[in-house]
Amino acid sequence: MVTDPSARSLPTRLAADTRLFYLLPVLALFVPLLTNPYTQFVVNLMLVYVLVAVGFNIVIGNLGQLAFANTAFFGIGAYATGLLMADAGLPFWAALIPGGAMGALAGFLASVTALRGIRLYYLAIVTLAFGELMRWIYVHADVITRGTDGLPVPMATVFGLALDSEVKKFYVFLAIATVVVKGTSNLLRSRVGRAIVAIKDNEFATASLGIPTARYIVLAFVWSGFVVGIAGGMFAVLIGRVVPDSFGLIELIFHFAMVMVGGFGSLAGSVLGAIVLTAVPEYFRSFPGLEEMFFGALLVLVLLFLPKGLASFFARYLPLFRQRFYRE
Amino acid sequence: MAALLELDNVSVHFAGLKALTGVSLQARPGEIKAVIGPNGAGKTTLFNVISGYVGATGGAITFQGQRIHGLTPHEIAAKGVRRTFQNGGLFGEMTALENVLTGLHSQIDSGFTGLLFGTRAARAAEREAVSRARRLLDLVGIGHVADQPAKDLSGGQQRMVEIVRTLAVDPPLLLLDEPAVGLAPPVRDRLMEIIRRLAGEEGVSILLIEHAIDLVMKASDVIVVLNAGQKIAEGRPEEIRRDRDVLEAYLGRG
Repeated sequence: MVTDPSARSLPTRLAADTRLFYLLPVLALFVPLLTNPYTQFVVNLMLVYVLVAVGFNIVIGNLGQLAFANTAFFGIGAYATGLLMADAGLPFWAALIPGGAMGALAGFLASVTALRGIRLYYLAIVTLAFGELMRWIYVHADVITRGTDGLPVPMATVFGLALDSEVKKFYVFLAIATVVVKGTSNLLRSRVGRAIVAIKDNEFATASLGIPTARYIVLAFVWSGFVVGIAGGMFAVLIGRVVPDSFGLIELIFHFAMVMVGGFGSLAGSVLGAIVLTAVPEYFRSFPGLEEMFFGALLVLVLLFLPKGLASFFARYLPLFRQRFYRE
Repeated sequence: MAALLELDNVSVHFAGLKALTGVSLQARPGEIKAVIGPNGAGKTTLFNVISGYVGATGGAITFQGQRIHGLTPHEIAAKGVRRTFQNGGLFGEMTALENVLTGLHSQIDSGFTGLLFGTRAARAAEREAVSRARRLLDLVGIGHVADQPAKDLSGGQQRMVEIVRTLAVDPPLLLLDEPAVGLAPPVRDRLMEIIRRLAGEEGVSILLIEHAIDLVMKASDVIVVLNAGQKIAEGRPEEIRRDRDVLEAYLGRG
């Protein structure tokens, strides 16, 4: 039976057209019209967490490895960017890229454990220990990191323009997040993304197709570390002070929850999960005690009714949300 | 014709277990060679040692005149030795199309930066692979399920996807591990017809593990019989049918 691609109906083609996603950053340009400085800060935080979740999902969702070094990538990116700005006097963009690179290096280190056959619960424990070790270093290498007092991050400038308001940070963050998410989407919808998902499904069968599995495991970790490292650099600039406690286990649970609520292995889901889980606790912050309750309730509800995350709910009605691993 | 694949006195001994002992065989272009034998005879081990999943403890394996034992599975696959697995090996989360595209991996030669930035060249290479994958699925009659997740397909369709995925790069040697098991007779016949055509028209060399003896007798040019890790016979189907050792070891005493 031969199907003619042009015979597919117009709605089907439109629905499958991921170019519609380009509308999102364009619409987001108008968000500052609706915010005050506080809500704008929360929106900026969402952009940071979009990259945190997108990066984390590559390793736990797409590659399917129980690696929990995400807060390590996040912290390393934050400290590297912050230190380069504070001590080397680099402008934001020139400090952010090495920040991402340091995250990538941490990703490489984490991948080495996975390659050496440390998998599943063992990998989980080793990577958790990595995150806690980094936190210990932030506290005790206080000559460099300023310890528990925190590292003050100077005002970021981009090509001479000082990011002295939340709105200015927003436009710069939006540009960074759009570029990094688009790059990740390009990778996932290519032979790279297919190789990574194939390894999760069946590593032996993947190798039987001539795909160097070890190389793609390293690549997934490195790209994940880079994306989360970039998020760390943005976080440093957004908060203005990098403290070790930002990168503990509670933070890790928060990252994991974003990916889970959004949907493992779904890029659109990561974006959605990060936005929802940044907004909900902030909204309930004004009702003391409710914040944690709503956070917990949301997790339980999603697990019960949408075990594959919010993305699976949208994918039911909008084919656009189905994660595809190719492009035509 | 010269041998494409040559096993010379290959042994695989695990601690205390002799999975294969001194097996020699050759595979030639355009030839379908069936490997039969009772359970535990070493058939799958034979495939695993050829494709690099287990190491040979003795002997030599050459493919197109080059030594391949000691290489990793993906290196051997990249040389053109492709295999299927007894229990599927499909990527269930991906669609049929994406499975076949994964098989075409090594033919899409775009670099990392090209893919990251979605350059024109990278997108063109991808588009070409997608249309080739769709054509291949159409060719075996399952083009209409190309966009469905592989895990939702019927057993026969899944087997076809796996075969197409394995064949997508036109490998000169194909190892099929029980491709017909669990298939309805019409699907099985169709599969066998495809296999025959591959050997006859494309000159692919095929090694085939199969339990259904009627199928083996009909489809193969040569039959190799393994028993307890050793090759006990090799010959044309009608010769094997008459072989005393084979009758005793495999078909039962009678």
